[in-house]
Amino acid sequence: MVTETSAKNPTKPTGRVPRKQQETTGRRVFVAVNATLLVLLCVVMLYPFVTVLAQSFSSAGAINAGKVNLLPVDFNVDTYAAVMSNGTFWRNYGNTVLYTVVGTSIAMALTTTYAYVLSKKHLKGRNTLIGIAVFTMFFNGGLVPNYVLISSLGMTNTLWAIVLPNAVSVFNLLVMKSFFEHLPKDIEEAAQIDGLGWYGIFGRIVLPLSKAMIATMVLFYSVQYWNDWFLAFLYLDKTELFPVTLFLRNLIAGASTTTSEGAAATGSTTALLSTNIQAVTMILTVIPILCVYPFVQRYFVSGIMLGSVKG
Amino acid sequence: MSDVFRRTPMRATRRGVLGYSIAASSALALAACSGDGGDGEVDIEGQSTGAMEDFTADMQFTATEAFTLPLLWTDWPELPIKDSWQIFDEIEKRTNVKFDLTNVPFSDVEEKRSLLISAGDAPTVIPLIYTGDESSFVSSGAILPISDYVEHMPNFQKYVEEWDLGDMIENLKQADGKYYMVPGLQEVSVPVFTLIIRKDVFDAVGAGVPETWDDMREALLKIKQEYPDSRPLADGFESASLLNFASHAWGARAGWGFGNGMVDDGSGGLAYTAASAEYKEMVEFFRGLVEDGLVDTESFTADNDGSGGGSVAEKFANETVFAASGSAGTAIEFEQALVETVGEGNFEVLQIAPPGGPAGQQVEPRNFWNGFMLSSEITESEHFLATLQFLDWLYYNPDAREMLRWGVLDETYTKDADGNIEIDPDHSLKAFNINLDGTTDIQEDLGWSNNVFADSTESRTLKESYNTESFVAYMDTVLSTRTPRDPYPPAPLDELELERASLLATPLQDTVDTNTLKFILGERDIAEWDDYVSELEAQGLADYLDLINGARERFEEENS
Repeated sequence: MVTETSAKNPTKPTGRVPRKQQETTGRRVFVAVNATLLVLLCVVMLYPFVTVLAQSFSSAGAINAGKVNLLPVDFNVDTYAAVMSNGTFWRNYGNTVLYTVVGTSIAMALTTTYAYVLSKKHLKGRNTLIGIAVFTMFFNGGLVPNYVLISSLGMTNTLWAIVLPNAVSVFNLLVMKSFFEHLPKDIEEAAQIDGLGWYGIFGRIVLPLSKAMIATMVLFYSVQYWNDWFLAFLYLDKTELFPVTLFLRNLIAGASTTTSEGAAATGSTTALLSTNIQAVTMILTVIPILCVYPFVQRYFVSGIMLGSVKG
Repeated sequence: MSDVFRRTPMRATRRGVLGYSIAASSALALAACSGDGGDGEVDIEGQSTGAMEDFTADMQFTATEAFTLPLLWTDWPELPIKDSWQIFDEIEKRTNVKFDLTNVPFSDVEEKRSLLISAGDAPTVIPLIYTGDESSFVSSGAILPISDYVEHMPNFQKYVEEWDLGDMIENLKQADGKYYMVPGLQEVSVPVFTLIIRKDVFDAVGAGVPETWDDMREALLKIKQEYPDSRPLADGFESASLLNFASHAWGARAGWGFGNGMVDDGSGGLAYTAASAEYKEMVEFFRGLVEDGLVDTESFTADNDGSGGGSVAEKFANETVFAASGSAGTAIEFEQALVETVGEGNFEVLQIAPPGGPAGQQVEPRNFWNGFMLSSEITESEHFLATLQFLDWLYYNPDAREMLRWGVLDETYTKDADGNIEIDPDHSLKAFNINLDGTTDIQEDLGWSNNVFADSTESRTLKESYNTESFVAYMDTVLSTRTPRDPYPPAPLDELELERASLLATPLQDTVDTNTLKFILGERDIAEWDDYVSELEAQGLADYLDLINGARERFEEENS
């Protein structure tokens, strides 16, 4: 028996070691596969971007000949000069900045206040208010009725047609509401005891505690406004009011929608748009919004409530 | 959160009712508005502010009282309106009419046009309308039945008669016997897209310029012998262009020109072309070319960016393709590409008349070009008559057409005693390679020759004035050696029929497109042709034929 036990005992560690080794190997494999997948994903995401970047610095001839891949061929910055000297481009660019800034400000003001109110469970009619917001996630009037609405409100060809229709994103609202719900009540109660009213609590306690959330929402909204072309397409009739995204869309989709004979024929009588002009416009359009990400990224990962409540 | 989702549906239904009733009432309101335009009780003589009393054909229109006219303007990405544009000021100077533009980006112009018309917000003048574009708006009443008012358009009437276009105008009629758009008139009409060939190579192998598709096949075989690695025939438009102009040689319709798929069955009725023996014969011909390795099949399936040049131009330049579909513009693109590889003077590119076939030396039916529609709100305008006169002048008066193409006489162009037009030395028209040394481009900088107005109505002389010599030669060849096919018998549908027809026609055409390509590329055995026809029948071909033929008979009865 003893021998058996002692004979068994030594096997235990030997049995464990391979399992440990297995775990380590398994983990290594996981890490390797994970890394490979992520790198591949990264490449897949970056490749088109790098190609467009390379095209933007290449000559139209090289692009049409299919020579441009990851590095520019016939390096030049003439296309940049040409696009940047286009008055309409800059006018539309300015519009995009304006729509983004005004739109994001209004959206943030509406969303934070709406979400904060909704986060108070004692509020009467809270469910109705939530219902009103959520309803719009599932139902809307449709294109023509919406157009008739905006048009009869006199908002066509104004900034308001662009910034107001999407000012409250219900998704953002709900995320923010649940975030506010999880803020510890104790802080607000403490502030109340110290004599702050609701607006004071919201402005001086809640908002400063929500920087990370606010930064994230600002990013969401500004990307939404920056990228939006559809509202502008629907409600704006003057080229000088268009955002740069609409300019870009016309440049790219306009060159590729010539599927009918009539359109193709008219396309053939005028200079066809070069791919490098499209590439440059794309790059110039995405760069600003791309630059916002690194600055906001840290808020995505930072801890939210660490150390805010003591004792 | 769960609370939110639990309660929503109940509230949703209540508000849903409200939402639907708003939508319904606005639809009713729209319908009510639109009813006003369609009743035909318009006192046009009483709405003649600004109109000229004795306006006749070929005279200058000048409004007796200045007015503003809302216009839907398409912004071409490569041709943005500049502050330096002369066109709007010049039109205003001559006619006292100022345009108020609604700008729409070219990329999504059709969607926006539909939206504006559906919402009752369309500008008065809606240009760039090709025949057929208007059908879907007819039932809404938002578009003016312009046929009721063409008596006030003397230029239009004059040139319809002079250029023998009366029958074609008849074919514009919708189910109610009226037409809702007036097209751009063309004194002569030749296919814009045809074959572009390397003439020097065709000559070198002893083939010459092919007059029929059989000639073409022989020529391609000879070229293939000379250049074994080549696949000499290509189409950079996913085969839609090639099949379009080739189909007429067999008396079929295909590719871009497929339309509703109906051809004259020879006994007054209509037959579905894609199930016909002629269509099969055409498919077999191209299948034969593919089998012999004479077709660059890659170009038949590759996505194109609309230019149709691109990779085909590259193959043309590298001497693997020697004949490809394209327009005059494509020919220039091929020439530019060849200069890079073969060298200037070592090649000759020629746009040839579409080859004939079993159905004879025939090409597509004569065409209209883009024209315009009017929003029916115009019937409430005091400038109704003046607007009609102005547009009649702008679209059909020869002086106006010349202005829209060339600009201001003795400023941007000159004209000699024989009527030959010469561009001013300081000006250029780069789009047509004219006087590239000029400092000001009459199109880019001044707005003339723009896509919205300039292409619409053209006399033969005007067409010849700006096109290259080779295109003029092409035009002459087509006009002297080919006959345009008879127009397809009209079968206008009413609102309900239109909806049914599109439900039936779309899946049918999908089947046709897919299988045509499969048969041609050899992916499907030609012995399965009858199966393919059964597939079409299973998709409601008989119903579709009944529908269209019913409409055809009705049209015949009403118009005979």
